[in-house]
Amino acid sequence: MSLVRAELRKLLGLPTAWVGLVLGTLTAPVVVLLNAPYTRRAIAAGTLTDTSDLGLRDLGIGLIGPMVLGVIVVSSEYTSTGQDAPGARQLTATLAAVPDRLRLLVAKTTALVLVVAAQAVVTATATLTLTQVLHGEHAPAPAPARVAAALLYWTLTALLAYALALITRNGVVPLTLLIINSSVVSVSYLLTKVTDLAAYLPDIAGTQMFLRSGDFPVEIAPVTAGLVMTTWVVALLAVGAVLFRRRDT
Amino acid sequence: MNTARAELRKLLTLPSLRLTALLTWTANLVLTYAYRAAGSRGEPLGDDAALAPLAYTQAGFLVLGVLAAASEHQEGGQIRTTLLAVPRRLPLQAAKALALAALTLPVAAATATTSTLSAGEATWTPAATAYLTLTTLLGAAVASVVRRAVPAVILLLGLYFIAGPLLRAWSATSAAYLPDTAALDPSRGAAATLVWTLTALTLAAFTVDRRDA
Repeated sequence: MSLVRAELRKLLGLPTAWVGLVLGTLTAPVVVLLNAPYTRRAIAAGTLTDTSDLGLRDLGIGLIGPMVLGVIVVSSEYTSTGQDAPGARQLTATLAAVPDRLRLLVAKTTALVLVVAAQAVVTATATLTLTQVLHGEHAPAPAPARVAAALLYWTLTALLAYALALITRNGVVPLTLLIINSSVVSVSYLLTKVTDLAAYLPDIAGTQMFLRSGDFPVEIAPVTAGLVMTTWVVALLAVGAVLFRRRDT
Repeated sequence: MNTARAELRKLLTLPSLRLTALLTWTANLVLTYAYRAAGSRGEPLGDDAALAPLAYTQAGFLVLGVLAAASEHQEGGQIRTTLLAVPRRLPLQAAKALALAALTLPVAAATATTSTLSAGEATWTPAATAYLTLTTLLGAAVASVVRRAVPAVILLLGLYFIAGPLLRAWSATSAAYLPDTAALDPSRGAAATLVWTLTALTLAAFTVDRRDA
């Protein structure tokens, strides 16, 4: 328990983590607000008929927050602590305090999940409430199961970023991969045009947990989609954990 | 000239830059292939199929610029040695930009060629090469202000891949002046890219000149 608390304090003490927290929490509600006139016109003109994804779809834009948090919780351990001691990294001190590497990873994972889940709850509440206030008469409130699935998607995305950072021991590579892929037209989406197998990539499968009106070649049922994404995350985490145990710091 | 040569040698010996360039080029090949394959299956992919893969792989060039500039501020503070050797900071910044441009040009040309030639639009090659080189310089300018690689990468990629597309969806007219416009609409975006890069370089030079190392 004290380990988790220590990891939480380390994470929340990082300026970059706050960038992720603020960016991730604010983006989705701000986008809903900015898009409100456009969305209203689209509903009035009849071009937007399926409003069941309204609000939930915008949640995907804030994903940069959990990605940054997941990466930074690992990469901060590997950056040099001072210019005068280039070889000294925080990880050395961390491992001196907690030599059991698996326990350390469990504590780190728990701390990350707690922070990201809290952020997801705040963001989802703000985004969905805003959508109800702005388009209440057109958009039905999403079912609790879909909201829960969206929260799960946020948490799993953070864990995916975390696993990738554990494998690469570097912040830039996973962030680049993940941020490009969270662009409006993601690379994964492009790949679904080439092969149907790409529908089982974690982000494509993951969004099908809570979005209904996607243009995907393979429709995956929400529960299956959740299982697919969870399998990806667990597999990558396992690889990351094995490497973290076996590798020198 | 000596300074520029020294900066170039520093950049050439950074393994992370070699890796980034290689990964970017490979990713561009894969994406180009994906676009061709999807195009031949009759999927609608927008108008500029030659430039579409570059809109993604420009991320590699941004990272290249960031790593080149941030490497001075990483472990051991190489910047102090650099400033000891070249105390005049504005000429140093100019030499750095020159060296990075010289290093990037061949990588950008290779990436642009593989993407545009296979689409049969070779006329875009010089423009795309210049665009990617300018993008790298912009990344380096931002990183020399931020001084740390990860925050600089978050800032730049967030702007290019999240804020940019959102702004474009929201207001197409004002988004025509974003730095990455040239990747999507070269004829109109060239000036925007040039102005953004020059502004960023000037700001960076000014900041570096005024600030402690």
